[in-house]
Amino acid sequence: MLALEFPPLSHITNWPEFWGNDTYGINKVVLVYAAAALLTMLLFVLGSRKRLVPTGAQNLAEMSVEFIEDGIVMETMGEKGLKYTPLLISFFFFILFCNIFEIVPGIQMPGTARIALPMFLALLAYVIYHGAGIREHGPFGYLKHRLIPPGVPAALLVLIIPIEFIIAFVVTPFTHTVRLFANLLAGHILLVTFAVLSSALWVKNLSAVILPLPVLAVVAFTAFELLVSFLQAYVFTLLAGVYIGQAISHEH
Amino acid sequence: MRRLQLRLLLAAAVALVALVGFAPHGLAQEGGGDEDGTGDLTHASEECIHLLEEGGVPEDCQEAPNPILPERNEIIWGAIGFAAVFLFVWRFGLPAIKKGMNARTERIRHDLDQAEAQRQEAESVLSEYRTQLAEAKGEAGRIIEEARQTADAMRRDLSASAEADIAELRRRAAADIESAKLQAIADLRGEVANLAIGAAERVVERNLDRDTSTQLVESFIAQVGSGR
Repeated sequence: MLALEFPPLSHITNWPEFWGNDTYGINKVVLVYAAAALLTMLLFVLGSRKRLVPTGAQNLAEMSVEFIEDGIVMETMGEKGLKYTPLLISFFFFILFCNIFEIVPGIQMPGTARIALPMFLALLAYVIYHGAGIREHGPFGYLKHRLIPPGVPAALLVLIIPIEFIIAFVVTPFTHTVRLFANLLAGHILLVTFAVLSSALWVKNLSAVILPLPVLAVVAFTAFELLVSFLQAYVFTLLAGVYIGQAISHEH
Repeated sequence: MRRLQLRLLLAAAVALVALVGFAPHGLAQEGGGDEDGTGDLTHASEECIHLLEEGGVPEDCQEAPNPILPERNEIIWGAIGFAAVFLFVWRFGLPAIKKGMNARTERIRHDLDQAEAQRQEAESVLSEYRTQLAEAKGEAGRIIEEARQTADAMRRDLSASAEADIAELRRRAAADIESAKLQAIADLRGEVANLAIGAAERVVERNLDRDTSTQLVESFIAQVGSGR
């Protein structure tokens, strides 16, 4: 009736390179990465003013630093985690700005709706938190710390050790990746769905009566995706902090 | 230098955002290719032709690529982008912001310390003033008490002096009265004598000599005076 043709997934998430080859080619997603990186730097340049009463970007940057330092680093790792603050700030802002392009008119493509960046960042976090754990406890001490919970009867260790191994060394990078990637991809598909529906209802027949519904849905989901963008950046950063905290702590 | 840095970053950000905004036109994979069939083939069309050449069916053209497999270029550029952000935040961004925040904390602490010192100084001065005020009040009380005692003494002295004066005046008045009374009595005696003589002369109708008359009268008076 409406001749509604929903585009295949590749048409809304895959962007061909307009410069370069498959290895170094630049496409829309790469430009989103670049813009996110530049916006993060810009925030910190503008925020590094030294006014006694902070306003604007300085206020935002200082609040963000305090939010991550007090709300994530101190909560998950304590004092000894302060050296990871630059890493977590980078995670948060880079992901946040990559996410936020999901709702920027004319761009509307989150860099994190492609699996490459979430996977890279999750693997980077994986290497860092296991590296930190090994440095803190030593290789064998770290394995013991992660795999053998204190107080477990020896008979149960046969069962517990593989479970702990799978959780600590196998599952976490996947969940860390997929949580960010899937949320942003789903949000993107959601917005595209209602936008396509609105577009299809832009017709001169009775069907146009229900046009306001998908249009309102697009508006509502755009606001919702703003929240999701922030929340997923926070969750990814918080989990990275939690994983590092678990690795370097001396309690199980 | 700082202004230039800002301008460069701002220009780069604006340029890239604009570029991203314009990039989708003609670059995103639009399904179906050109409607008139005369233009260049889109990436999607090329992909579809490739699939059909390899023995696929037309439905394969609608099949989405596996979204779980990452693109190599996106991994590389994502890593470069994140590395740039991390290095910037680590080496410049965070230290600059922390420096500003620490400087503010230090300044506020210094101001608070200074305010505390000034408050203590003010309290000390106030305490000193209060002590001085209490001393002044004590001194004023002492002076007032002394004045009161002096006034009482003066009042007592004046009262005693006035009483003495009054007594003296009374004494003098009494003496004057006594003197006047004696004088009056003496005068009265003389007058009575004269009256008596005159009366006697009339009574006896004979003229006695003066000395005899006087003697008789005085004798009479003496009798009269002793008879009172």
